[in-house]
Formats: sequence, C-alpha cells, structure tokens
Amino acid sequence: MTTATETQFRAAGPAGRILNVVRLNVANPWTTIIMPWLILGIIFLANLTIWWIIFNSVGADNVADVSDGLQYSGASTWIFVYMTVVAIQAINLTFPFALGYGVTRRDFWLGSSVTFVLLSAMYAVGMTILSVIEETTNGWGLGGHMFTAVFFGDTWLQRLFIYFVAFLFFFFFGAAIATVYVRWRANGVTLFFVVLAALLIAGAAVLTLTGNWQVIGDFFARTGLVGSFAWSLVITVISGFAGYLILRRATPKN
Amino acid sequence: MDESRPIFVQIAEQIENDIIGGALAEETQVPSTNEFAAFYRINPATALKGVNLLVDEGILYKKRGIGMFVADGAQGRLVTKRRDQFRAEFVRPLLMEAAKLGITSTQLSDMIRKEEQQ
Amino acid sequence: MTAVIEVTGLSKTFGSIRAVDDVSFTVEENKIYGLLGRNGAGKTTLMQLLTGQDFAMKGDIRVFGESPVENAHVLQRISFIKESQRYPDDFRVKHVFKSAPWFFANWDAEFAERLIGDFRLPLNQRIKKLSRGQLSSIGVIVGLASRAPLTFFDEPYLGLDAVARQTFYDRLLEDYAQNPRTVILSTHLIDEVANLLEHVLVIDQGRIIIDQDAESLRGTATAVVGVATAVDAFVGTREVIHRDRVGGLASVTIAGLDATERAAASAAGLELTPVSLQQLIIRRTNTSEREFEQSA
Repeated sequence: MTTATETQFRAAGPAGRILNVVRLNVANPWTTIIMPWLILGIIFLANLTIWWIIFNSVGADNVADVSDGLQYSGASTWIFVYMTVVAIQAINLTFPFALGYGVTRRDFWLGSSVTFVLLSAMYAVGMTILSVIEETTNGWGLGGHMFTAVFFGDTWLQRLFIYFVAFLFFFFFGAAIATVYVRWRANGVTLFFVVLAALLIAGAAVLTLTGNWQVIGDFFARTGLVGSFAWSLVITVISGFAGYLILRRATPKN
Repeated sequence: MDESRPIFVQIAEQIENDIIGGALAEETQVPSTNEFAAFYRINPATALKGVNLLVDEGILYKKRGIGMFVADGAQGRLVTKRRDQFRAEFVRPLLMEAAKLGITSTQLSDMIRKEEQQ
Repeated sequence: MTAVIEVTGLSKTFGSIRAVDDVSFTVEENKIYGLLGRNGAGKTTLMQLLTGQDFAMKGDIRVFGESPVENAHVLQRISFIKESQRYPDDFRVKHVFKSAPWFFANWDAEFAERLIGDFRLPLNQRIKKLSRGQLSSIGVIVGLASRAPLTFFDEPYLGLDAVARQTFYDRLLEDYAQNPRTVILSTHLIDEVANLLEHVLVIDQGRIIIDQDAESLRGTATAVVGVATAVDAFVGTREVIHRDRVGGLASVTIAGLDATERAAASAAGLELTPVSLQQLIIRRTNTSEREFEQSA
C-alpha cells in the first residue's frame, strides 16, 4: 500500500518549492506588476500636464530655475509605500494560504525574499531607464523631474543602486513588521513601535544632551547619498533574518 | 438506511432481495463494490464487507479479474434461508401470542384465510 | 495496514484552555476518518498540529513516519484548506485553481474543472465577495482535485445547500474509490456523513472520547423508553450513557442489547429505539441536541 503511494507521488525539490512560492506571490500579476506601473503612468501624465502648464506660463527664459525646483519632486515616492503594503499582504494573507498548500515556513520566507528581490530589480531597472530618458530629453522637453529627483542620485548607476536598495528596504522592513503582526497580532505591533519610538527618542535625547547632533550630520555628509542608502542595507538584512526567526514559530490565526 | 443495524448487513440484505426478486439473475455479474458504495452513498469498505458476507455464504463468487457473480442455485438457497427466518421471526411469535390468547390452530388458519380474502 | 498518522500523548494549551489534552491515536492509510465533535472541541487545533501549522507542547506526532513541523517531505503530501482559510487579498477564484497545481503533485486539472462546474463557482469572482457556500466549495474542490495522500476536509459543507452537499459526497466516494487515499473529514454535523466514514474519532474538550470503527459503533447504543420504574428496573446496573426524564416516563441510553435482552425489554413493555451516530455522540458529550446543532 505504501509503495503505491510513494511511486504515484512526485515530490518537488527545494529550488522548485521556492520558485512555486514566487509564482504564488505574483499569481495575480495585476497587484504586483500591472497596477504599480499603471499608477506610475497616470502620475507621470499628470506631472507632464503640470510641467507643460508651468513651462507655458513662466516662459522659456525661466525654465532652468523652475527645473531646479522640480528636482525635489516626490511624485515617485508613493511606489515604495505601495511595495511595503504588498509585502505586508504577502505575509499576512499569502502566508496562511501557502501553509494550506503544504508549504513550509522556511520555503515561504525564502520564496517571498526571492520575490522581493526580483520585484525590486524590475522596478529599479524600469525606473532607471525612465530616468535616463528623462535626462537625455531634458525633462521630457519641459524640464520636469520625476525619476531624476535629487535624492535618487546624480548618475544612472547611482539611481539604479538607490532605487534597488530603497525597494529592498521597504519590502523587507514591511515584511518583518507583518511577521510581528502574524505572530503576536496587534499588541505585538503596538509594542514594537512603542519600543522603536522609545529608542529613537532616547537616542535623540542622548544626542541633544551631549550636544552631538553634529556627529550625525557629519556622518551623512561623509558617507554621502549613495553611502547613506547603502547603510539601509544593514536594516534590510536584519529585517530579512528577524522576519524569518519570527515567522518560524508563527501559527496563522483566523 | 436503518440506524440500528450495521450498514454492511443491510447492504447484504439488499443484494439478497435483488437475487430473490430476480433483478440479479444467477450467473450474472453484480455491480462492483465501488458502484454499490456510490449508489448507497456509503464507504466502499462497508460495501465490500456486505459483499464479502454473501461470498462467505456462497451466494456470490469471485471471478478473477472480472468481478462478482451470483452463484448457481443462490436464489433457491436464499428463499429457503428467508423461509426459515420467516418461521423464526414471525410464525413462532404468532403462535406464542395465539396460545396466550387461547386461539387454536384451526381458528388461527381461519383468521389467516379471512385476512387473505379481504 | 500502514499508519499514516501516529500521535502519542499530544497536548496543546492556550492559556488555561486545554485545546488538545493528552491525546493518542493512529490513522491508518487509505481510510476515510471522521473527526467529530462540537465546535471548540479541539478539531481545528488538532488538525493544525497534524499539519505542522501549530506547535505541540507535549507529546509526539508522526505523519508518514516523520514530524510534520517544517518538513517539506511530509507537508507536500497533505492538503488542508481550513474552514476559516484566508486567501491573498487580491485573489479571484481562478487564481486558486491556477496556483494549486504548483503545490499538489497529484493535482487533476480536468477533475477540478468538472467540480467547478458542479458547484457553479464563478471563476472571475473576488474571493472576498464569495458567499459562505462558495467559499466552502473552493475548499472542497482543492481537497478533492489535489488528490493528496492525506487530505483534510474541515467543516467542508458550511453554507452549502443540500444539492451541493450530495455532490460533494458523491464525488468524494467516486474519486476515493478510484484513487484511494487517507481522508479526514472534520465536522460537527454527523448524520449526513456517518455512512461515508470507515472510522470515527470523537473529540470533546480536547480529549478523544471515541476511537472506533464506524460499523462497530453503529448499534452500540439503544434508547430504552417507557414508564420510569420499568425502565430503571430493566437498566439495573448497566452502564448508562444518557438519561432523560419527563414526568413518569424515562428514556435511558445504554449499550447495545442482544436478541434475548431485546425480547426481555419488549416483554417488560418497554420500547427500544435505535440511536444514530450523531445522537450517540451528543449523549456521550453531554450536550443538548439543539446546542450541538447551533455550535457552528
């Protein structure tokens, strides 16, 4: 009897199992791929209209000044928040569903991590390509800045790096918070943020009392934009490991 | 299905009734266990138990690789068995009750005849 | 017979509640089991422990000979869509049936399609918008079409109408006959499924109170009804499962009787009525019938 079941059953290997979790995470590509690009497109068109209006009202002579101001555009920052939500939903809802499909927590976390890295890469590459077009067309011919905002770096390579690292941060940090929720529900998340806020306030107090704010300023000045983003990888990696450790003993509740 | 008795016994009785009534003729194939299970909405293991009961009694026999068949002479044997049961379950209590009420066997057969004419 | 599940001394508590309390049992391969009991009796917790979704505090669980916790080798052979299963927020019905084959090696797409037709599931509907019955039918279809060597059905027919429930029983028996596998049917509505089961496990307040072959369980109890004094005299020192009294009348459920005892009972002017599996369980778990049916 046992042998019949054994021969009849084809088990998936570790790589196959992880790949299946990736596929599960993007089973409805509308949410993870199509929708974000669509929103990005709509915001871009809205911006284009605004730039065009400004361009026509200030006259060609002042375009350079306006363009400088537009460098601080935050038009594409929402996408990072959106991806945080994607990560939270994956852990909060796809996780209990995947367990029903007989997925282990380890495979789920690894598969979701691969999903986050792949999505980060896709959006980083896509947005970098758009930034290069933006640059070469002198802001779509209107001096606009959406993908070349000043905090994304100066060269396409810097932008690629910053985009990628920022996406990774928002995915993994969001996912880690969600694991706290899945394991300890709302109380756990509240406690987490209370502790985080306490630590930040305590840190700020120490800096203020010792008059050491300058140290922080110096640090960022020294490490620069790219370096500062690189440091976020520390939090991203910690989130990646902490999230797994928390999820490893979590039971989906109803 | 009757709640008080094992289902496999009831399945066996169902098949017996079909054989007695001629719906399942001798030397013809009976439905498979799974077909019985599906028809009566019961567990296949239960249906198998019912069928095996009849195999043990020699009412059904197995043809290797084909299925279950009604044995030669099964109908006759079942009728004999049911007549014995009838005597034990109905006639004996009937006579006991009649004796209690002082009904003689002549009176009893008269009553039966009258009942038949109605 | 091979044991698919072996549980010894298993316990799980939530605070002061003993959800599963020192439980031991085995589940044999290729049988249909009923895991029966009231809501809150510990059925779902037990199934979550068996599928590695929850963690035991004491005791040992072997599924296919190994611990199920974080064990891909074991979990890949299990299908367990909970009654309260949560789905990804953006999922439509079609996404479930698109993704299921990736995880179940034995998945039968044709069978799934036929079942989707049987249950009239709207493929393009968002899962969030489904009715209770439609949600149940997703669990039923995944459970059937996955053909997992160990399949759990958790309250599979909540919200399903009579026709859909019959469809479920028919398809289950039909497919089980062709592709034997171990099935654990968890429910608190017992009468409808009683005939499908080969073995019955009844859980009450975290303990297994019945672990018996379904056929041998049938007829193990009889209700003796009549004038209280006569009933009491007949029952004597027999073990009483349940006792009801209305005025001078009594109905006492006792262990099954043989032919001579039955004859003695009717000679004493007592009425004997059969006790269904559901009634037997209700009486053994000391629950009123109404309470039991409403515990969903």
